[in-house]
Amino acid sequence: MNRCSGIACLVVGLVLSSATAAWSAKKPSADYLQMIVKLLSDNDPEFRGIALEQVRTAGGGAATTELFASQLTVLSPAAQVGLLGALADRGDAAARGSVLALYQSSQDEAVRAAAIRALGQLGESPELLPLLVRVLGSASTAEQVAARQSLIVLRGDTVTASIARQMPSAAPAQKAGLIEVLAARWARDQIPAFIAATLDESAQVRAAAMAALGQLGGVPQVAAMLPGVLKAAKGAERDAAEKNVAIVCSRIANDDERATTLIQALETIDTAQRDQLLGLVGRVGGKKLIKFVAGIATSSDPAQRKLGIDALSKWPDASVADQLLEIAKMTKDPEERSRAFQGFVKISATRDKRSDDQRLQRMKQAMKEANSPAEQKLVLMRCRTAYTVDTLRFVLPYLEDPQFAPTVCETIVELAHHREIRDPNKAEFDQALNKVIAISKDPVVVERARRYQRGETWERSG
Amino acid sequence: MSAESLTAALTALQQYDWGTDTAVLAAIDDAIAAAHSNESVRKDLEARLIAALQSNLSRDAKDCVCRKLMIIGTAACVPAVASLLDKPEHAHMARFVLERMPAPEAAQALRDALGKLDGNLKIGVIGSLGAHRDTGAVAVLAPALRSNDAAVARAAAWALGAIGTADAAAALQATLSSADGNKSPMIDGLLACAESLLKQQPAAARAIYQSLAGDDQSRLVRLAATRGMLACASAES
Repeated sequence: MNRCSGIACLVVGLVLSSATAAWSAKKPSADYLQMIVKLLSDNDPEFRGIALEQVRTAGGGAATTELFASQLTVLSPAAQVGLLGALADRGDAAARGSVLALYQSSQDEAVRAAAIRALGQLGESPELLPLLVRVLGSASTAEQVAARQSLIVLRGDTVTASIARQMPSAAPAQKAGLIEVLAARWARDQIPAFIAATLDESAQVRAAAMAALGQLGGVPQVAAMLPGVLKAAKGAERDAAEKNVAIVCSRIANDDERATTLIQALETIDTAQRDQLLGLVGRVGGKKLIKFVAGIATSSDPAQRKLGIDALSKWPDASVADQLLEIAKMTKDPEERSRAFQGFVKISATRDKRSDDQRLQRMKQAMKEANSPAEQKLVLMRCRTAYTVDTLRFVLPYLEDPQFAPTVCETIVELAHHREIRDPNKAEFDQALNKVIAISKDPVVVERARRYQRGETWERSG
Repeated sequence: MSAESLTAALTALQQYDWGTDTAVLAAIDDAIAAAHSNESVRKDLEARLIAALQSNLSRDAKDCVCRKLMIIGTAACVPAVASLLDKPEHAHMARFVLERMPAPEAAQALRDALGKLDGNLKIGVIGSLGAHRDTGAVAVLAPALRSNDAAVARAAAWALGAIGTADAAAALQATLSSADGNKSPMIDGLLACAESLLKQQPAAARAIYQSLAGDDQSRLVRLAATRGMLACASAES
């Protein structure tokens, strides 16, 4: 440390220590404290708010804290919640006993949750950690959330290790909560425990472990996460697991390195199970992996081809569009044709680094290749990701065909939703939206069309 | 900056009006910068600006001169500037000069003008006395609190609040206790006084807050008074 920074540290240290000393040593007058105490029980929340400001900052150290905390028992539940928050912000462990007592005696869920949240900010004590872990498995969602927040912010050098020690004996819901907490506390030293938990019998625990690894994992964890993907139930859990591995892979900036890491990881998996991970390969993407997957998608085994096509359909960008179109054109199997064409349209519509014009050109190509009304409808539906007025011009003629009209109406309002293309082409959009209003039978679509004509926006529900 | 260019700029003032290129006056700004460390240069420049102000200039030219006097003006320019206080088109710029000038003559000129003005011109001067924080103006502002012109009374209340002394508060309190109608400006003024007094005279501030904390006051006033009483109690601790 050079001399200047040494002096700076000394000055900062002196300022901080004197500020702390002032906070704890300055004894407020009894009159001042009584005013605060009286206001804490005021019926008007704004008057209580004035008192709570003082609770957060008033001097006097532990004695003052204890005086404020002693009011907890005489206040209304709403006032208790406010005071618990202020005591938490005050951060003085002297309030812990009263807060804990209130948690144990109150039947009010909001009060109990506020008490749990406050305890996290008042520092570690021997009985606190087991209590918070127990509340993680509580029937009350509010208390669960509060316990999780408290475990995340709880201070102390040994807290993270103590939380980790609770994992083996915890019930599934608690264990999942503890994993989330440890991930939020950035507990990298618990990565081996997370990897073990990816194979847990509880789907909740497995999902939490994969999410934690997605958050904290790096190259060394990719191979170790793959058994977790295989263990995950097909559907939402498998999708989430694949995404978490893809997130870890995305931390490798170089395309080739990323592909190599994943291929090496796949080699650690039994060949019979490897095919099930092709979807994951698709999510990771990259030039080197295209060849790898495209080979499988065109193999002689129909089951392998299906997995390969599905993997290409999950690609994060449109670089595999030509491969999918080629498969769709060449196959003699109608089901395979449908699968590959759907993948081609999905991938062509992906909002990746291409321009909206490039996306639209792909959709026009897809329309030419479509060989049934169902495929045409799919193209008209996916067109909405090409944010350009030319897309409107492309889909508009299909509005006249009753079999496509409902899909085109939706696509037009989706395009109109984007002010950046709607406003500069207002007359053209207004005309199209008039047609939508006249044709559509869907009240939401009609309402949206009217809003966009008035220059208003529309909020998606859910 | 040469003497010739300053003379040319002062001469240009005679023709100066809205839309004239301000570059013709640049030499005056240069002279102001040069006067910063040279009292004789400043004195000479002030005298020449006073002479310009008293000549037959356009409104915009007089505005420009006032802006320059606001920077370098002293008691010497007060009579010339104060003579504009009763002229609606120049009064605003005159007050702009006087309310920022620390010389006691400036405050005195504003006080002297008060009795001679009505309406907006009077309200403007009252506001300037507040902005100047002229403690000597309390005696002349207190009667204005009872003015029949509500806008004048309101301006006086706010000006006394800006002055913020115990005397100003006493004047407001005396009128408040006997006032009918809208008491809000006086309460605003009192709260402003209490806030000014809080650090130096917390007991006086607390007495004001206490007087406004009763149930006869609106909720917002009671909130402000309560917050103030806590601040006083904290300061007294």
